[in-house]
Amino acid sequence: MIVADQKPLHEVKEFVETHQKILVAGCGTCVTVCLSGGAAEARLLASGLRIAFQRAHHPKTIEDDTVLRQCDEEFVLPLLEKVKGEGFDAVITLACGVGVNFLADRLGAIPVFPGVNTTFYGAVMEPGLWAEMCSGCGECITHLTGGICPIARCSKRLFNGPCGGSEKGRCEVDPLNTPCVWQLIYDRMKELGRLHELRNIIPAKNWRPALDGGVRHTVRERIYRLEYKNR
Amino acid sequence: MTVRSSTQQHKPLPNCSAACPVHTDTRGYAEAVSEGDYERALELLLQANPFPSVCGRICHHPCEKECRRKEVDAPVNLRMLKRFVVENTKDYRRERRRRIEPFRGKKVAIIGSGPAGLTAAHDLALLGYHTVVFEQDSRLGGMLAHAIPRYRLPLHALNEDIDDILALGVEAKTGCRVGRDISLEEIRESHDAVVVAIGLSESVTLPIPGSTSEGVLPGITFLWDVANGHPPPLGERVLIIGGGNVAVDAARTARRLGVSRVFLACLESREEMPAWQWEIQEAQEEGIEILNSWGPKAILSRKGKVAGLELKHCTRVFDEKGRFNPQYDEARTMTLDVDQIVMTIGQRADLSCFNERELAMERGRLMCDPHTLSTSEPGVFACGEVMTGPGSAIQAIANGHQAARAVHHYLQTGERLVLPREEISHLGPLPPRVASLARPMPRKDAALSDPQERTRNFSEIESPFNEQQALEEARRCLACAMGAQLESSQACAGCLTCARVCPFGVATVERTAAMPAEECLACGLCAAECPAAGVALKRFGTNQMKKTLREMLASTHASHILRPFVIAYCCLYETTGRQYLQPQSREEIESSGILRVMVPCVGRLSSLDLVEPFELGADCVAVIACKEGACLYPGSEELLQRRVAHAQKFLEEIGLKWASLQYHRTQENAEASWPAIWKEVRRQIAPESGKEAFK
Amino acid sequence: MKSGSNLEKVLKGGHFAVTCECGPPRGPNPDDLIGKIDHIKGFVDAANVTDNPTASVRMSSVGASAILFRHGVEPVMQMVTRDRNRIAAQGDVLGAHALGIRNMLCLSGDHQTFGNHPHAKNVFDIDSMQLLHMVRTLRDEGKMDNGDPIDGKMGMFLGAAANPFADPFEFRVIRLAKKIAAGADFIQTQCIYDMDRFRKFMEMARDMGLHEKCFILAGVTPLKSLGMARYMNRSVPGMSIPQRILERMKGVPREAQAKEGIRILLEQIEELQQTEGVAGIHVMAIEWEEKIPEIMERARLIPRPQVD
Ligand SMILES: Cc1cc2nc3c(=O)[nH]c(=O)nc-3n(C[C@H](O)[C@H](O)[C@H](O)COP(=O)(O)OP(=O)(O)OC[C@H]3O[C@@H](n4cnc5c(N)ncnc54)[C@H](O)[C@@H]3O)c2cc1C
Ligand code: SF4
Ligand code: SF4
Repeated sequence: MIVADQKPLHEVKEFVETHQKILVAGCGTCVTVCLSGGAAEARLLASGLRIAFQRAHHPKTIEDDTVLRQCDEEFVLPLLEKVKGEGFDAVITLACGVGVNFLADRLGAIPVFPGVNTTFYGAVMEPGLWAEMCSGCGECITHLTGGICPIARCSKRLFNGPCGGSEKGRCEVDPLNTPCVWQLIYDRMKELGRLHELRNIIPAKNWRPALDGGVRHTVRERIYRLEYKNR
Repeated sequence: MTVRSSTQQHKPLPNCSAACPVHTDTRGYAEAVSEGDYERALELLLQANPFPSVCGRICHHPCEKECRRKEVDAPVNLRMLKRFVVENTKDYRRERRRRIEPFRGKKVAIIGSGPAGLTAAHDLALLGYHTVVFEQDSRLGGMLAHAIPRYRLPLHALNEDIDDILALGVEAKTGCRVGRDISLEEIRESHDAVVVAIGLSESVTLPIPGSTSEGVLPGITFLWDVANGHPPPLGERVLIIGGGNVAVDAARTARRLGVSRVFLACLESREEMPAWQWEIQEAQEEGIEILNSWGPKAILSRKGKVAGLELKHCTRVFDEKGRFNPQYDEARTMTLDVDQIVMTIGQRADLSCFNERELAMERGRLMCDPHTLSTSEPGVFACGEVMTGPGSAIQAIANGHQAARAVHHYLQTGERLVLPREEISHLGPLPPRVASLARPMPRKDAALSDPQERTRNFSEIESPFNEQQALEEARRCLACAMGAQLESSQACAGCLTCARVCPFGVATVERTAAMPAEECLACGLCAAECPAAGVALKRFGTNQMKKTLREMLASTHASHILRPFVIAYCCLYETTGRQYLQPQSREEIESSGILRVMVPCVGRLSSLDLVEPFELGADCVAVIACKEGACLYPGSEELLQRRVAHAQKFLEEIGLKWASLQYHRTQENAEASWPAIWKEVRRQIAPESGKEAFK
Repeated sequence: MKSGSNLEKVLKGGHFAVTCECGPPRGPNPDDLIGKIDHIKGFVDAANVTDNPTASVRMSSVGASAILFRHGVEPVMQMVTRDRNRIAAQGDVLGAHALGIRNMLCLSGDHQTFGNHPHAKNVFDIDSMQLLHMVRTLRDEGKMDNGDPIDGKMGMFLGAAANPFADPFEFRVIRLAKKIAAGADFIQTQCIYDMDRFRKFMEMARDMGLHEKCFILAGVTPLKSLGMARYMNRSVPGMSIPQRILERMKGVPREAQAKEGIRILLEQIEELQQTEGVAGIHVMAIEWEEKIPEIMERARLIPRPQVD
């Protein structure tokens, strides 16, 4: 799941200072789950902004609306219609960066601003705690490391074992919050009876399928550009 | 401001309502009491039952037997809450009375003014019929007026209900015995329909040797005479035959008439006795001597007067099939010297008022159909105990309601209404897993006067709840099925937050969230934390609260309000009286600068609830929680504090002072703590104007 | 000979080698560096030139190494993968070679959050292991990482770091073996205080025959004060100073602590010389280079061997 954190309110407020009618758009999927951009947060932010502008003696019309996903045309359409139809002159989206782009591509002259900082692909470690688990490198190598990703979870992206800062299972960069992934890999490979595999040197990675190879697309040919459907 | 919940019954019914023969919105009135809205509670009571005053005292309360709270500790004392409501809304009840002008042009006669007859009369009057009640006695109420002893049901308590019914315009003809003063035929000529509700007014007697001796008293006659101020002369030793409630009443009545030794002999063992356990216990406290497993063999008499009773040992009351089929050990006998014997072994209807031509009978019973409540004659219906056999007042009331429906249908269509079979689904028991996590709160029982004292006369033995007791007892109600519900599965992102915050392990997520109504204890934590704002609370929905808040603010002049203007969210469970539960007047809000929002546990307030008042014009929001560790819901305090901290940070970013959102907890009850807290809230928010007057 | 460097010759000649550390300046001016060079010249076989140590900007290690070379001290150029991808790394190695540099130490590097530009983006295209492998391929096969041939031949004595004190301990020797397999000719260890653990590490290394496959230089650092000892114990990840040493530092007055630190170091050097498989020492006298002559003298490690 994509994890995002809310931007500080004052920052968001500055974005829309010069606008009059603003829509706060929540997203009902990832950012809802990570408690940063669902309907509840959208309402709260809208209310907060109204209060802030009211107090600054510049009351503005600020509404909120939340759709299931801001990364699909069909779900976004009603939002776009609302924005254009009801005369909103700015949108703040609480969706991840995907939503910001997706709306920006479709909103014409109406600006869209990010309400959250999209951070990573992660999982819930404990209620209220998310941790990065994958960095979308485009060519998964976890078959070599017991299913645990050193690219996403090692601060130095080391492929061949822990650096000298691994101490008592914690990563030197943030010992309090981060386990040393190589300790995890070591323990797991030991458990799997595959420790000997860690003697192999993992060669330099091909980063081309990652963002480093340029902007990525994925085509699923079996439904892409079907001919029977006249668009 | 108190937010009113909807009074509508949600299906399935909570067990209490399901068990109640008239399906009183029990949960609803318990909630109304806890919110200090006794009037709404009364309305709910009256919706189902025209005899709330009577039932508040003598109802055998099947609701409590089924109350789901028993899985946690003990059932809610629903009967006492009912009594509390009635006793605290007397003026209101008088004022709400209104006479219904009969507009249907049809007339219905009710024979018998017991709870069944009067309920039918009440309903039919409300439906617009001209209703006339024929009662042989000088007083209305049937067994309530004549048999149930005054120490349990004082006359004034009964009259409150009866006056209310009469106020609708029900006409009462007392001292008018059908079959003596007027015949059924005559009644039928002048009425469009008749309801026979004559109850079971004769005691059954035992055909044993000596049963005609002087001093053998039929139970109902005995109680009736006592109730009407004509107690029969009694000796030193009186024996009651029978093990039911009537027997116990007779025994306790005899005791109050100064009899020094009162015996009660019955076939049943202590456990088998049909009387309510609490009645038996109270009787024993009063010195009644109970002889279990003894059956009467012969009444011994001297000069035609009762001298004693010979008893034989009863070895078994019911046979294998559970039928009444007593067996005796004739060899084991005992003799007791007594002066009088009261027979309370059962009742039957006195059908001598009708002749066979008028109404068909069968083996001494009225011929009638329980599915339509009809008799052999079209337009003549029967209800109450004459129809159902012996039961309780509330059953008679339920039957009276049905009779009114049947009559109404008949008068509108000319046809018999086949009463639909009642299919009541209820919530079932509270799962032990959930019950074990709920916080126990001891049940409050009614205080009874001292047994020595109370047997001296017929004054009422039970004291009502005071307000604090009632409020405390009302909040014991688990508000079954009034909790969380996913508004739409669309909104749910399956984030598991509800499952993670639910202190009772109730909320689960399988694709989308589910909060099974039969498990949820309505703390509202999931609703407060749901990031999709997709969980609704049936009780105290915050959307509804916002609407009310807006209205409240709209009705006050913003410029007249003393500043800083504080919205105080107060936990209503802390109150011991109505003072703060009642709606605030506009003037009070304006002059105090405080708008109270009473919340059943402030733990359910969402971040938005904490922030939005500022939009509505508040200068400060104060959350006033209960005493430390007093919250009903485990974990709620911590979650709330964290939510407040989160909202404080948020407000700070908007540029509001830290003190704009304050969290306080009481030390004592609301009345003792809140004024000081409000003062403190104002001091913190406006340190520069700390001296300003506070009302 | 893989590089013909002095360090390689000393080690291969069976001598107990000595290297030290020489941090480049925090500016464009080489004078300070030249001053440090003067302190150590003749007292060590080679000196490590750190590469933006603790992720703080310094004169580049390529540039500083060239200055050392010019001033008569053989450099061990350190290179971290934190700041360069495989393209830059290979280019820098070729350039370094052209400047006369023949020893290099391949490292991943400290994380930038510890340095003076914590907001920087790191590179970590490859790790130290992969860097070793890449430079060895350049040297031995005359090929770049992608297989393209390079023009001409290249010599480089390849070093790697090992930390016997980090976790998981059992993996430490495996990692050492991997580095050797990837191309390390010599190893410099993290500074050693916990001799027990180091002995255990060496035992494991010997069991795998690693001491015969490469030269292991034991890292040592003189303690300047009790404060420094405590700080390192507490705050440097993967470093533990035994209680015994802390007690010893604590037992002397503050002014005598530096002296005591050096005494401890000398005892350690003596023991390391006796340890089988230890081919030399790497003295990390951080910003204390002027002490190198004294230490070497007292350890009776001078004069340094001249091997041809
Ligand atoms: C001693 C005793 C104690 C009880 N205690 C409780 C209790 O604690 N809780 C509880 O829930 N229930 C109790 N009950 C039961 C309850 O009182 C009855 O279930 C209820 O009163 C039955 O109501 P009804 O309307 O069917 O008949 P009744 O109450 O019997 O009313 C019948 C009425 O019809 C009148 N009538 C009869 N014939 C004629 C006629 N020919 N013409 C005119 N009028 C006539 C009678 O005078 C009487 O007023 C008790 C009953 C008794 C006897
Ligand atoms: S807890 Fe309340 S709603 Fe539930 S059964 Fe008892 S009285 Fe009824
Ligand atoms: S959190 Fe409270 S309201 Fe929600 S399901 Fe659990 S008990 Fe019900």
